[in-house]
Amino acid sequence: MTKKTGDEPTVDLLINGVKVRAEPHMTIVEAAWAGGVPRITGASCLEGVCGSCRILLRRGQEVSVALACETFAEQGVETLFLPPPSAPRHQYELSDFKDGWDIQARFQEIFPEADRCRHCHGCVQSCPKGIAVEDGVALAAAGRFREAGEAFFECVMCELCDSACPEQIAPAHVGLFSRRITAFFHLRPPNLIHRLEELRQEPFSGSNNPAPLPGSDEKESS
Amino acid sequence: MTESLNANLLHPQQRVGDNMARWREAGGGDALRIAAQDPPAVLTAIKDADLRGLGGSGFPVWRKWEAVANEAPRPDKYLVCNGNEDEPGTFKDRLLLQETPHQVIEGALLAALATGVNRIVFYINPDLTRALAALQAALGQWQGSDMLQQAGKALGRPITMELKPSSGHYIGGEETAALEWIEGKFPFPRGKPPYPAQDGAHGCPTLINNVETLANVPAIVRHGADWFRRQGIGKATGGKLYSLSGDVLHPGVYELPMGTTLHDLVLVHGGGLLSGKPLKAVFTGGPSNTLLTPADLDVGLDFDSLRERGASLGTGAMIVVSEGTGIVKQVAEYVRFFAHSSCGQCVSCKTGTATLSLLIDRIDTGRGTAADLATLESLYRMLPGSGRCHLVNGVAQLLDSSFRHFRHEYEQALK
Amino acid sequence: MTRGLSLQAALAAYRVDAELAPLPQPLEPDALLNAFHPDHLRDGIATLAVGPNAGARCPRELADLLQAEAYIDEVDLAGVEVTDTDVLVIGGGGAGSAAALAAAERGARVLLATKMRLGDSNTVMAEGGIQAAIEPDDSVQQHLQDTLRAGHHAGNPALVAAMVGDGPGVIRWLIRQGMQFDQTASGDLHTRRAGGISAPRIVHCRDYTGLEMMRALREAVIQHRGIEVWDQAPAVELLSNENGRKCVGAVLGSLDGQKLRIVRARSVILATGGIGRLHLHGFPTSNHLGATGDGLVLAYRIGARLCDLDSFQYHPTGLVNPPYLSGKLVTEGIRAAGALLLNAEGHRFIDELQPRDIVSAAIIRECREGRGIHPDTGGVGVWLDTARLERGQPGLIEQQFPKLLARSRIAGIDPRRDPVLVYPTLHYQNGGAVIDVDGATTVPGLYAAGEVAGGIHGHNRIMGNALLEIISFGRRAGMAAAISSHDRGPKKITLEHVNQARRALTLAGLPLTRRAPQIMPDYTAPGKDFQIAANPRSKS
Repeated sequence: MTKKTGDEPTVDLLINGVKVRAEPHMTIVEAAWAGGVPRITGASCLEGVCGSCRILLRRGQEVSVALACETFAEQGVETLFLPPPSAPRHQYELSDFKDGWDIQARFQEIFPEADRCRHCHGCVQSCPKGIAVEDGVALAAAGRFREAGEAFFECVMCELCDSACPEQIAPAHVGLFSRRITAFFHLRPPNLIHRLEELRQEPFSGSNNPAPLPGSDEKESS
Repeated sequence: MTESLNANLLHPQQRVGDNMARWREAGGGDALRIAAQDPPAVLTAIKDADLRGLGGSGFPVWRKWEAVANEAPRPDKYLVCNGNEDEPGTFKDRLLLQETPHQVIEGALLAALATGVNRIVFYINPDLTRALAALQAALGQWQGSDMLQQAGKALGRPITMELKPSSGHYIGGEETAALEWIEGKFPFPRGKPPYPAQDGAHGCPTLINNVETLANVPAIVRHGADWFRRQGIGKATGGKLYSLSGDVLHPGVYELPMGTTLHDLVLVHGGGLLSGKPLKAVFTGGPSNTLLTPADLDVGLDFDSLRERGASLGTGAMIVVSEGTGIVKQVAEYVRFFAHSSCGQCVSCKTGTATLSLLIDRIDTGRGTAADLATLESLYRMLPGSGRCHLVNGVAQLLDSSFRHFRHEYEQALK
Repeated sequence: MTRGLSLQAALAAYRVDAELAPLPQPLEPDALLNAFHPDHLRDGIATLAVGPNAGARCPRELADLLQAEAYIDEVDLAGVEVTDTDVLVIGGGGAGSAAALAAAERGARVLLATKMRLGDSNTVMAEGGIQAAIEPDDSVQQHLQDTLRAGHHAGNPALVAAMVGDGPGVIRWLIRQGMQFDQTASGDLHTRRAGGISAPRIVHCRDYTGLEMMRALREAVIQHRGIEVWDQAPAVELLSNENGRKCVGAVLGSLDGQKLRIVRARSVILATGGIGRLHLHGFPTSNHLGATGDGLVLAYRIGARLCDLDSFQYHPTGLVNPPYLSGKLVTEGIRAAGALLLNAEGHRFIDELQPRDIVSAAIIRECREGRGIHPDTGGVGVWLDTARLERGQPGLIEQQFPKLLARSRIAGIDPRRDPVLVYPTLHYQNGGAVIDVDGATTVPGLYAAGEVAGGIHGHNRIMGNALLEIISFGRRAGMAAAISSHDRGPKKITLEHVNQARRALTLAGLPLTRRAPQIMPDYTAPGKDFQIAANPRSKS
C-alpha cells in the first residue's frame, strides 16, 4: 500500500480538449469526471480488463496509447479518449471447421496478412498489457496456435494493436483465434466428458423435473 | 506567358525518350564534358543558382552536396536518385524519367562528380512501369559508354549506376526509408541524426536528391547560374514542373517559371475550372499541406512565397477543387491514403492517422456526431511532432487548414 | 463507529509469521446477518407504491428508478428509423452473448444492442470461476442443494435444478465457443472449492475466468453471420402491443443522445445485468460502469413481476485503497486457496469459506466494533492475508492469480509481501425479473437472462453460480425466444404500457420528475454532464 494520496499538489492536464485540474492519484477516467469532461462513453470495468477506455496520451513530444483506468493524472499531459475501433474484417466461425488437420490452411485464408509482419513493433508498443504481440502473431502464422494463444493470455480486447498494425493483421483477433481454436479442438477433459456421459445415460431430474437444456448433447463432428 | 512553358526540362528537343543520339544532338552530354574539367565548379554553380530540393523540401541543394563532398568515402559514397513518386496528385518525375531519362542520368553523374560519389542508385517506384522501362533502356546505353568512363576518370574511380525498384510504399519516398530499402530491409524511416550525408546507404556517406532536382543540373552547368536565376519570377530561381489536377479544364504537367502565380497556373494554363464554376480551394504538394483558397490566387508558386502564406509548395502538385466539390470527402480520401501509408513504427502516427481516418470517414458518410467532430479536432492537434518522419505532421496540417477554411462543411455533414 | 487502527499502525503491527489464535465461537448466522448485513438496514428502504410488486420493499435508490417516468412519448417516435428482427437481445455481456448465439444457432435473425461496447459487462470482470459438478466425488444433486442452502432456501428449485443440470453441458458449450480452462496434469478440468460449497466444483481460467469467457463469446458473436451487433445503443424504453401487455420491441437511444431507433422484434431478451452503480446504502461496487439497473426499470414499467428486490450480495473482499480501485474485487478464489481474514488485532474472526453474506456481515461487524483498519484516504477494512498465503505456498499467487498481481503492480502494492485491505463491496443483485425455466418473464414476448433475472440465488449467491447462470439461462432464453418468434410478428407497436405506468404513478401521487432508466452513472462534476439526451425534449 505504498501509493500515497491526500496532500499531493494538484496537476493540470488536458482530457478530450478540456482543461482539467486533478489529483495525481486519480486515473484519467476519474480526472475526467472530476474535471467535468463531457460524458465519457468509452469506459467500463475501471480495472483494466475490458479494454474499452483506450486513450492517446501526449507527454511533451512523445505520444503513446494506454488504458485510461490504469493511467494516472500527471502535470501537463494531454489525453484523448479514442473512439471504438471499427468492426473486424476477418470472418470465420468455429463451426465451419470440420477437421483439425486443415487449421493452418484455413488460418492463412482467414488471416492472409499474418505472415506479412514487417516487424515495426507498433503492436508491441501499443499493448497496455505488455503482450509480445509480434511473437504471438509469428507463432500463429507458423501454425503454433496453442503457444500463440498463450502469448495472448492477458489480452483485454482493446484492439489497440489492430489500430497500430500497418499490414492490417488484426493481431488481437489472431490471438483470439489461436486461443479459441485450441480449446475447440484440443480441450477434452476426462472428468467433464465422464460426467456428461453419466448425464446422457441418466439425465438429471431435479426436484421439479425441469426439461434438460435442449441441444447440450448436440452432435459434434470433431 | 506561354513562351515560358516547357522551355527547358520538357523542351521538345529534350523529350526524346531513351534515344541517346537525338539527346546528344540537342546538347546532351555537354554539361558532363564541362564538369569533367572542374568538378567542384558544379557545386558552386548550383549554389549560385539557388537550386532547391524539388521533391518537396525546398531545401537548398548545395548544403546536402557540400556535406557529402566533405565526407571521405567509407569505402564508397552513394547518390540515390529518388523516383518513388507516390503522393496523390504528383506525376512529374515519371514524365521526366519517361521522356528525358538521359537528362536525369546526366544530372545524377554531375552530382556524383561534384560530391565524390562513385555509386549511383536510381530508386524508382515499381508502379511507374513506363518510366522504369525508359530509364532501364537509357541506362543500358550508358553502361560502358565513353561518357561514363570519362566521368569515372574525372572522379578518379569507376562510377556504377544501378536501377533499384523501390517497394512502392509511399513512406519509401522518405529519404532514410529509401536507404533501408536499398540495404534490403523494409523501408522504415530512420531517426535523424545521423543524417544520410554522414551515415547513409550501407553506412556510407549518401546524397539523396529527387529526380526533378537532378534533372535541372545539366542546364545549370551548361548555361550558368545567372541564366538559371533569370528563369524564375521575383526572388525565385529556375523553373518548376507543376502537376495540375482536379476540377480544371486542362490537367497535366506544366513546366513554368518558379514563382508563377496560382492564377496563371490554374486559370491561364489550366484553362480555368470545369463548367465555369468558381475556384474553391487548392490542395498543394503532398497533399499533406495547407489548403490554398481564392484569396491566394495572386501568390507566386515558389517555396518562399508560399511559406509566407503559411502554406507549402511541396512537390508542386496543385489539386484544384471548384465550388460543387465537397472538401470533407476530398480530405477524407487523403487522410485515408496517409493512414494507409503510415509505416507502423510510431504508434502515434499509425494509430493517430487510422483514428483520424475512421472519424472523418464517419463524418463524411453522414454517420458522424458532434462528439466525433470534437474528437477529430482534438486528435489532430495532439499529433504533430510525434513521429520520426513528417507524415503525421502533414496530415495534421491538412486537417487543420481544412478546418480553418471549411469548418462549416464538416458541421453540415453531421447527422 | 469506534476507531480501530490506522493503516500505518496496522502494517507496522502485522507479522506474516505471527501465531494465530483459534477461531472464536461463531455467532449464529441469522443473528449475524440481521445485525450486520446491509440488506437488513432499516434506513434507506422504501416500499413500492405502484407496479406488479406494489407493497414490496426495496432500497430507496432502486425504488426511485422503478417508479420513475419514461424518457419518451409516442410523439417522439414519429419519423424514427425502424429495424425488424426476430430476436432483440438487450445487453452485451455474457448472458446477452449466450442468448444471441443460442437464438442464432436456432436460425433466428438476431440483433444484439448493447449500451456500451460488446463485452463491457460484469462478466468480463469475473475472476474466480464457474460452477459445474464434474468431479467424481461431486454430483449435480449436491450442486442443487448447495445453491438452495446458501440462498437460504429462497431460490426457485425448478430454476436451480435447470441451471445445475445444465452445468457440465454449459462447460462443453463454452469450450465449443473457444473458451479455455485450467487443466490438471492429466488433462482434467482443474476445480476449486469456494465458500458454501460441498465439493471442489469451480472450474476456471486462472483468475481471468470472466475475461476468457467474454473474449471467446465476444468473438463468437462478432463472427456469427446471423447476429448483428449495435454498440453504444442503450435501450431507453420497451415497446408494447396495443393493450400494453406484450413486448414487441424496444426503442434504442445512443450514448451521445443524438438519435433514437425503433427495433420491432418478435421476442426481446433483457440481459442488462445488475445495479452496482446505484451504490445502494452508499456502498462502493465491484460492478462495471453500465450496471445501472436499466433492465429492471424497463421490465417493471412494462409490467413484469420482479422478485427478491431487497436482497443484494456484498462481496466480502472488495479493495479499500488506493481509492481508484475502491470496491474492486479480490477473488474469492484466493480464500479458497487458503488466504485468511484478520482484523486489526491480527486475529481471525470468521471461517473464510462461509457463504459470502455471512463473511461480509462478519467483516462489517469487526469494523463496526472497532477492530477495523483505517487508511488515511478514507474507508475501513480488514486484512486479507495474502502474504501469509504466499509464505505457505510460494509462487501460488503468481501462478494462479495473475490478475491480482497485474492490478497490484499498477497500484504499487505487492500482495505477496503485504496483506491486502478489504471491505464488503456491492457486487450482485440476487433478485430480478421473475422467469420460468425458458427465461420467459411474466410479460409475453419478454425474456430475461443473467443478473437482471431473479429466483435462482435466493438471498445469497455462491461463487461460480453467476457465470453458470448467464450461460445456462442465456441459452435457454435464446432458444425459447427463437422458437416463439415463429408466430406472426407484432401488428402494432405502441407505448401503451408507458401510459399505463404514468397513470398509476399519477394516481399514487408520485412525482413524474425523475426519469429512468439511468443508463450511465452520474459521476461527472455537477452540471457538466450531457443530458441523457435520448429525451428529445431536451433537444432544442
